[in-house]
Amino acid sequence: MVKLEDIAGLGLLQAPSGKPSEALTRSSSSYRSLDTFALPKERRYQQQFADIYFLRLTKIKPAVEQIAHEAWEETVLGGENAKKVERVLDVRQGELCWVAGTVFMDMPLKPSILEDVSKDRWISAPTSVDHYYSEDGRDQVMLEDDSGRIRLVGEPLKDYFLVTGCIIAVMGTENANGEFEVIDLKFADLPPQPPRWALSDKKIKSEDVSMSDPDTPSKKIAIVSGLEFSGTSTAYTTELSLLLSYLLGDSLDPATQSQEQSKISRLIIAGNSIAESASSDPHSNNPSTKTHTKKYGYDASSYNPLPSQLFDSFLSTLLPTMSITLLPGANDPANVSYPQQPIHSAMFPQSRLYGPTPTHPDEPGWLDATTNPSESEIDGWRVLGTSGQNLDDICKYMDSPDRLGLMEAMCRWRCSAPTAPDTLWSYPFQDDEPFVMKECPHLYFVGSQPEFNTKVIEGPEGQMVRLVLVPKFSETKEVVLVDTETLEVSKVRIGTRS
Amino acid sequence: MDTYLKHLSESVLAEDKVVDFRLLSQSLQVPVNTAKQMLYEFHRSQNAKRPGSVHATYLIYGVKHNSNSQNGADEEMPDAGSVTDVVPVFDLCLVTEEKLRDVLAEFEEVKTIHVYSVASRPTKDMALLADVAHEVSSNDKKVLSNIVNPNVRTRERKGPGLKASIASTPAFKQQPKAASKVKEDPKPAEETKPAIKTEKTEKTTSSAPAKKPAPAKSSGIMAAFSKAASLPKKEPKKSASPAVTETNTPALSDEDDDEEEMPQPKPRAKPDFKTLKQREEGLRRMMEGDDEEEAPASERAESPEEPEPEPMEVEEEAPDPVKEEKEVVETTSNGRRRGKRRIMRKKQIMDEQGYLVTIQEPGWESFSEDEAPPPPKVVKTTSSASSTQAKKGAAKGQGNIMSFFSKKA
Repeated sequence: MVKLEDIAGLGLLQAPSGKPSEALTRSSSSYRSLDTFALPKERRYQQQFADIYFLRLTKIKPAVEQIAHEAWEETVLGGENAKKVERVLDVRQGELCWVAGTVFMDMPLKPSILEDVSKDRWISAPTSVDHYYSEDGRDQVMLEDDSGRIRLVGEPLKDYFLVTGCIIAVMGTENANGEFEVIDLKFADLPPQPPRWALSDKKIKSEDVSMSDPDTPSKKIAIVSGLEFSGTSTAYTTELSLLLSYLLGDSLDPATQSQEQSKISRLIIAGNSIAESASSDPHSNNPSTKTHTKKYGYDASSYNPLPSQLFDSFLSTLLPTMSITLLPGANDPANVSYPQQPIHSAMFPQSRLYGPTPTHPDEPGWLDATTNPSESEIDGWRVLGTSGQNLDDICKYMDSPDRLGLMEAMCRWRCSAPTAPDTLWSYPFQDDEPFVMKECPHLYFVGSQPEFNTKVIEGPEGQMVRLVLVPKFSETKEVVLVDTETLEVSKVRIGTRS
Repeated sequence: MDTYLKHLSESVLAEDKVVDFRLLSQSLQVPVNTAKQMLYEFHRSQNAKRPGSVHATYLIYGVKHNSNSQNGADEEMPDAGSVTDVVPVFDLCLVTEEKLRDVLAEFEEVKTIHVYSVASRPTKDMALLADVAHEVSSNDKKVLSNIVNPNVRTRERKGPGLKASIASTPAFKQQPKAASKVKEDPKPAEETKPAIKTEKTEKTTSSAPAKKPAPAKSSGIMAAFSKAASLPKKEPKKSASPAVTETNTPALSDEDDDEEEMPQPKPRAKPDFKTLKQREEGLRRMMEGDDEEEAPASERAESPEEPEPEPMEVEEEAPDPVKEEKEVVETTSNGRRRGKRRIMRKKQIMDEQGYLVTIQEPGWESFSEDEAPPPPKVVKTTSSASSTQAKKGAAKGQGNIMSFFSKKA
């Protein structure tokens, strides 16, 4: 409880003293952007999606099988030893065995390409279904590999999150109906975690360690998502300007500025910087004008440049004092399918000055427009971040999704976008499946979430992952701060009261 | 009276404007923290003179009561495994003077409070302050922030964005005069900062002329052009090589026609042309042989020439990449050819892992002329044999219907 009298004369609530306030230098952080999710410039879309599943299975299956082997090697049930079966089709009725494969969820409400083709629907619009699960229990879980498919039944399935595309091993027997009765179930669990500073050379490492040790209030990075600059709504513009002055270090007093604000070395914008356009509305309101204004190609009148201008001005104000990593999100001007490629610098006429130097493509720009998902190394920590589509899509498979638990599950499945390409649009990869987590991140954040949450999960080999759900700023007005020494998380809530 | 008070009373009281600390810092070129104090002093002194004449908004930063209750609720999650961390939550709250007492009561600890803006009337709509912030960002002058970042990098290549910033920074450099208007000791902070800034601008400006964006860009354009130029170059070559080797693909044989119909200044067209002629001749003769089965001996007399075109035919079909066809004519009886041709067959086999694998296998296919005359060949002879046939036809005095058409063409 703070009373008005308590704060009188505090800090800046006094006349200008004329005392010089010392200039503060913003902390710097080492940053490396990894191009794990970069697509080739010339992309082909002729190939089949099946390769993604195949690649994922071949990448994750050995790990799953090893874990399953360790767990079930000695398992004897009813005098029968559980033995490994190579392929799903090799499962024999009545034999206790275990097999690894890809989960496929057969859900009536889930969009299905086969159904679209059979009904002669060729218009591809993103699905508008808000959930895939059906209440009446018509959903079925299948396990498949390149040989075939088998339906999974049994109680253990209810204890785990399962979505299409995750790789699991199941132990049990095939029953008379040809279904596989699951007794136990295993994931790959967390992939091996690289040590801190794995990608930076030793020189930088020692230098940074000695530098950071004396600093007790250590450096931070700010993560924000869903800024949703809008051309029409002014509901949170004040909060946006408060956020800007907070990040700039203009607001608050010298003590806070030196201890907190100047320690924020980097801002990560995790998607949805530009509000969803309402451009479809004018067309639906008066269809007569639509026919009149039908033009070939670009129609300037239907485009509102204000949101991107506002966003550009936000970035260009902040960039002189803070480096920014920008992930595209669902509403941003980037491609729709995963992995989203960086927002083009042409969207930021003012801020692109801080972009990467074309002659040094290896060095990330001060404004680093990255892919979504994006992988980077910040102050030695491996950071994996997405703008939220991967998690949002998985949540549609669940009745009451525990988003943090699903984030953890993604790490344990070793796949950051398991539902791609089934329900999450994705590029048809052929040679590589980048969604497989080859290395365990230290920090994994997902943007555009309804609310903030965080926790640390641990792996069997001592891996520690900090999971952060980054809330939409437009709804919660919250910024997440992550300490780059301890990976501790705090958040700042911005509000107004009039 | 201090200049800043005069400035504030002008804009707030006379012009009825809302002034926040960043706007003040920008217009007077004073550090932001000083601007906050100026706003406070203005608010205090004005209200001392005439209570209620100036209204302020405050920015409070601190920890609220029960700010962790939200996280406490998460612990009721059904999944016992997901125990979420309780994280420190800081609140940044912009509040009007009227609500200050209420809002302060919600706080457990106030780390910082300062005047955010002043106006001549109570701020009902906080969006007004966003407009002020927008005004600040649309202005060219710099806000004298307290935190600088010496590591800031910009790309070397210049776009229009840089010009704008160059234009704006020198404008700001001339501002120290404006700052000295304020009766305050020149602050070291102020001095160091412009120093850093000028360094930056120097860096950018100096690199600007050195950089020459145009060549870099034009090199890109040139590259594009050269690419475009290389493309047509490539295309004739592509059409040329089939012409030399004389493929059997219908599409390409069409191209051959074009070449003949529209003579292009191609040096290498000459040898092609010759072989083409020869081939056509041979083919035509063959055709005629087909047509006139009970032909007179005079027609037969030409047959000794036949071996000449035949090997060419073998050659002509060889390089087809898709369906390799090679003919070995075994018998040439009665003007009708029989033989075998080499083809690539697609074959599906099961490999040792049980996968179906499609392979291409070379094979031989026997044929006879009447059964399978390769259609493109026919097209070629009929449509492209203009000159030879015209000549021949004239010599024979026998009008060929094809020569009639091709003459017109």
